[in-house]
Amino acid sequence: MTRLLRNNGWVVGLSILLVVLFVATRIIQPQYGAGDFGSLVRAVLPYAFAVAAQTVVVIAGGIDLSVAAMMALTSVTAASMMAGASEEYALFVVPFVLAMGFTLGAVNGLLIVVTRVPDIVVTLATLFILQGAALLVLDAPGGGIAEWLKNLIVGTVPISGIPDTIDAWIPKALLLLGVLLCIVWIPLRRSRLGLSIYAIGSNQLAAFRSGVPVARTKIMAYAIAGLFAAMGGISLTMSTGIGAPIPGPYLLASVAAVVLGGVALGGGKGGLLGPIIAVFVLRLLRTDLTLLAIDPNVTAIVEGTIMVVVVMFGAFITMRSRSS
Amino acid sequence: MKKLTRIGLAAIGATMLASAGYAQEYTIGVSNTVQGNGWREEMICAIKAQALASGKVAKLNIAHRNTDAAGQLEDLRNLISAKVNAIVVNPADPAGIQAALKEATDAGIVVVAVDQAVTEPSAYIISNNQEQYAYLGAKWLFETMGGKGSVVYMRGAAGASADSDRDKGFKKALAEFPDVKVAQEVFTGWQQDQGKQQILDYIATGVPFDGIWTSGIDNVIVDALVESQAKLVPVVGADNAGFVGQLNSVAGLKGAAVTNPGSIGGAGVTLALQILEGKKPAQQTVLVEPALWENVTDAGKEQLKAAADPSLSPEWPVSISINDWTSYTKDQIVACKGPGE
Repeated sequence: MTRLLRNNGWVVGLSILLVVLFVATRIIQPQYGAGDFGSLVRAVLPYAFAVAAQTVVVIAGGIDLSVAAMMALTSVTAASMMAGASEEYALFVVPFVLAMGFTLGAVNGLLIVVTRVPDIVVTLATLFILQGAALLVLDAPGGGIAEWLKNLIVGTVPISGIPDTIDAWIPKALLLLGVLLCIVWIPLRRSRLGLSIYAIGSNQLAAFRSGVPVARTKIMAYAIAGLFAAMGGISLTMSTGIGAPIPGPYLLASVAAVVLGGVALGGGKGGLLGPIIAVFVLRLLRTDLTLLAIDPNVTAIVEGTIMVVVVMFGAFITMRSRSS
Repeated sequence: MKKLTRIGLAAIGATMLASAGYAQEYTIGVSNTVQGNGWREEMICAIKAQALASGKVAKLNIAHRNTDAAGQLEDLRNLISAKVNAIVVNPADPAGIQAALKEATDAGIVVVAVDQAVTEPSAYIISNNQEQYAYLGAKWLFETMGGKGSVVYMRGAAGASADSDRDKGFKKALAEFPDVKVAQEVFTGWQQDQGKQQILDYIATGVPFDGIWTSGIDNVIVDALVESQAKLVPVVGADNAGFVGQLNSVAGLKGAAVTNPGSIGGAGVTLALQILEGKKPAQQTVLVEPALWENVTDAGKEQLKAAADPSLSPEWPVSISINDWTSYTKDQIVACKGPGE
């Protein structure tokens, strides 16, 4: 138990912070209920996928600046393909767009491996390319989406054996998020590839000398990031019903949540749960600031300050526990 | 003396009664997704000033940040959680925020979209007519160019709906003048620095042009023409204080300002309050039509002189109020303070 706590101390700490924030939210707005929680999860959705994408790459020792642009491109592609099409056609569009994200991510990785140009430069270049490509697909927000896809994140799903009052707190969007993240992350974490991703992030040379295929692992890490980004893009279209070619604020938010989630920016350390909880913390913080009617020009300062304080506090605790 | 005091007391009593009648009862939520742009800041200040001047708003919950449609959905849902009575929203996208607008009206919240339209039928819309905005200015520009020549077309932000509406109006005018060609089409992103850089780059190519149409990034364009001593071609912009000042003062500059009041935000508050008090407008959509002020005719010069206001920030539109829709004073909107601030 203590070992589990020590190994996951950061995640536990973040979870406590999240619970504290929920209590604070209930105090600020006593009527904050299940429906409001559903809204929170829907707001979390695109951020969570962006963060998942960033997490995989950062663990592998890289950084992906093209996350938000990739989301914009996959979102407009999905929206323009589904506009006016039949409901069944979406069954083809979703895997197509996911495959597209995976491929584009792999291209990112390939460019980094082949050209040996630093990650930050390559993904900055692809950021602009993907952004331009998104405008080629749709020059203005538009497109459409199949109704059933839209409904996947609206409301709750009745689960037998769970009373309605609890069930109301399990929105569909949360289930969808959990299922999609687990489908990719759990097998990855347990596979040889997952181990290699941690290995190259931790020490690329040592990993290479131990026989880890560094190039292939790096390409796969970026490809998986592309897959998550495509999920994020589709989730954007699911919540708005359209595709927007101008990328949203997901790049910086993803880096912020990765750091807040206890993933070392140097690579090799951390998991996916921390960053996902961090996204909930950041979104709930935004809710509280709106509920409190804080001056909008101050909210960004408050968000940034809290983030720095939490990360500094976390680093301090980690240092203390290591030295003792 | 005694009598005077009595009158004074009566007057105080009357004001107290009057203010009791105007109970501050409503909470209004605001959602806006472009921060740090002069027009949008004026809109927010107009909302605050009108809320204060109406005396009927107890609190404003303002969600004002740079984000996309998905982020606006989040903000709108947070405002629903905050149980506001009405929401004034400048939509990031007409269709993209429909789900949250419907949730709001289902929850009994009055929704008023300002500046741009929304597709949600239960929402009220009070907006500047963006297509007409572009058409009026472009038509004037092409006429002033003598119906022929090449024009630099400096648009807003790629993908924004106000930009695509304006593009429709611009193209409509262009179709009426077959001898006018677009020499260069660029997106300024409604950013001053970007627009100025783009026009400087174009001037540096040495390719001649006969006119510039801008989507409201205007005063820096005139600055660029003057600084680089390029030919002063006719320029069309918005009624931003800086540009209106230039139309009055820069020698040899022909130009026109098309009104696009940021004070539409204040009008949105007024409309929301009217609906909350049971006075619904006849139509779901109220359009504010733009006007054009040019500095070629004497009548136009008069309008520009009257409109000029050097005390405002150069990026703020000079039309800081809208007749029948706003009741705040200039000091109130410049102070930019809402109820309780």
